Amino acid sequence: MWYNVDMPKQITLQEAADLIPSWSSVFIGGFAHIRACMAFSRELVRQEKHDLHFVSSGPTVHSDMLAGGNVVSRMEIAYGGIETIGPGPNIRRRVEEGDLQIEDYTNFSMTMRLYGGAMGVPFMPIKSMLGSDLETKTTFRSKAEKLALVECPFTGELVCLVPSINPDFGVIQVQRVDTEGNVQIDDALTSDVDGLKASDVKIVLAEEIVSPSVIRRNPKNTAVPGLMVDYIVHAPWGAWPTAMYNFYDYDQEHIEYYAKQCKTEEGWDEYMKEWVTIGEVALMMKIADRMKALKARKGLGY
Amino acid sequence: MAICGARLIWDGAIVFAGTGLPVLSSVLAQNTKASNAKIIYEGGNIDTKNKDLPRSVSDPRLMLNCAAALDIRAALGEILQGGYVDIGFIGGAQIDRYGNVNSTVIGNYRHPKIRLPGSGGANDIASLAKNTFIISLHEKRKFVKCDYITSPGHLKGGKTRAKSGLRGNGPKYIITDLCIFDFEPRTKKARIKSLHPGVTKRMVLRAMRWRPIVPWKIPVTKAPTKQELQLLREKVDPKGVYLKE
Repeated sequence: MWYNVDMPKQITLQEAADLIPSWSSVFIGGFAHIRACMAFSRELVRQEKHDLHFVSSGPTVHSDMLAGGNVVSRMEIAYGGIETIGPGPNIRRRVEEGDLQIEDYTNFSMTMRLYGGAMGVPFMPIKSMLGSDLETKTTFRSKAEKLALVECPFTGELVCLVPSINPDFGVIQVQRVDTEGNVQIDDALTSDVDGLKASDVKIVLAEEIVSPSVIRRNPKNTAVPGLMVDYIVHAPWGAWPTAMYNFYDYDQEHIEYYAKQCKTEEGWDEYMKEWVTIGEVALMMKIADRMKALKARKGLGY
Repeated sequence: MAICGARLIWDGAIVFAGTGLPVLSSVLAQNTKASNAKIIYEGGNIDTKNKDLPRSVSDPRLMLNCAAALDIRAALGEILQGGYVDIGFIGGAQIDRYGNVNSTVIGNYRHPKIRLPGSGGANDIASLAKNTFIISLHEKRKFVKCDYITSPGHLKGGKTRAKSGLRGNGPKYIITDLCIFDFEPRTKKARIKSLHPGVTKRMVLRAMRWRPIVPWKIPVTKAPTKQELQLLREKVDPKGVYLKE
């Protein structure tokens, strides 16, 4: 057996969540209806983490769950809702009660802030956010920290500069990773790849861990080279109830049930007892029937 | 409403579909007269020809038959900011007379009465598309002065949008369940363009808190045809993803 110091370490879901101390900043992947780090977020709730600084573009059910579990106290995001449903019920309640602060950006500006972080440059120029209240109003950042309006030194055109960002931890859930940490994603990359690359410690959760030969057969499909990745976790069905293209569809019925349930604090407590604190193994047993219905069909991928 | 939105999309247009009703209108347009419309979704799915209706702007259903599955940087950056998008299509909670849209908060920004989802990609779309279409139910609480401007329209009217450094022409239409608005070219104030069949000026004005420009003669929107309704209900959205009522 040969040993490569660059090899990422394979750990369990519990160990991965345990790496993240309270008060740290995190990028946790997932966008709209796909690839949300649900299992990982449930584990953060179970481990009673608190005061995380959450960074993402358009996160979905997982960010709402983290708000419900009081895991996050600050968010820099573009979207705090669940598509087709509306505002995330827990996010909405926490903000309205003053327990959670959101610094509003846009999907593009957050993605560029992460991309800037990944490339090691201090800011990125963009042409949106100008003229709106996103430009003028802030919550926990000062206006000078949120963005800067400058004239281009070459053309004089007005541009908006957004500060790059390097979260302490980056976590994404993907289709496959190999033992060397090479990541392959089968559907649209959203901002997951930029978010992971921007983060200091990179954790990849995957539906399957494959041998490097599988990845190296299709190197064009590799979204993140393994030499950047620190930890890998085998987490099948880890995005449920959101979708993992080629593996399973989203569970809209459950997402709607979640949104309805979490409208009140009591409802969230009930949901948490029933679907979160029971642990992943018990949860998987509980949804075994649903899994059959959600399993991706050949030729469709959903 | 969805049909009106679809009809305004011209064939061959590159459409950036925001979350909700814009998705339905865009897919319907692709199934009717604008069969060559190319639809972009911010998650990274480019030029989609999906079989089943997506529930969100990043849905595995968008993968089937799409030309490219890239990322947000490509969709919002290279294609939208790069200047390819003819129509940016968004919804919103509050809309003002200049087509500025709020989808962030109701009430004070730092201490909101209601926290809404936020921009998502809507600010980017409204800032950067050549033209913006806004689609919304026509309700008194929605057609007000915005508590927060999430997505820029014509800002304060006149030339204020161009002066702010924004690209694109800003909002072209507001499509509601009562009427369609366009914008008067000089002041950039919303103007009733057509009333849906059976709707009067009075009904429109009573369902909003700001006063649009009301021309003396207003044409009636062409009623949805049987084919359009059948297509919408049976082919585009048979499961009632968006057509709940």
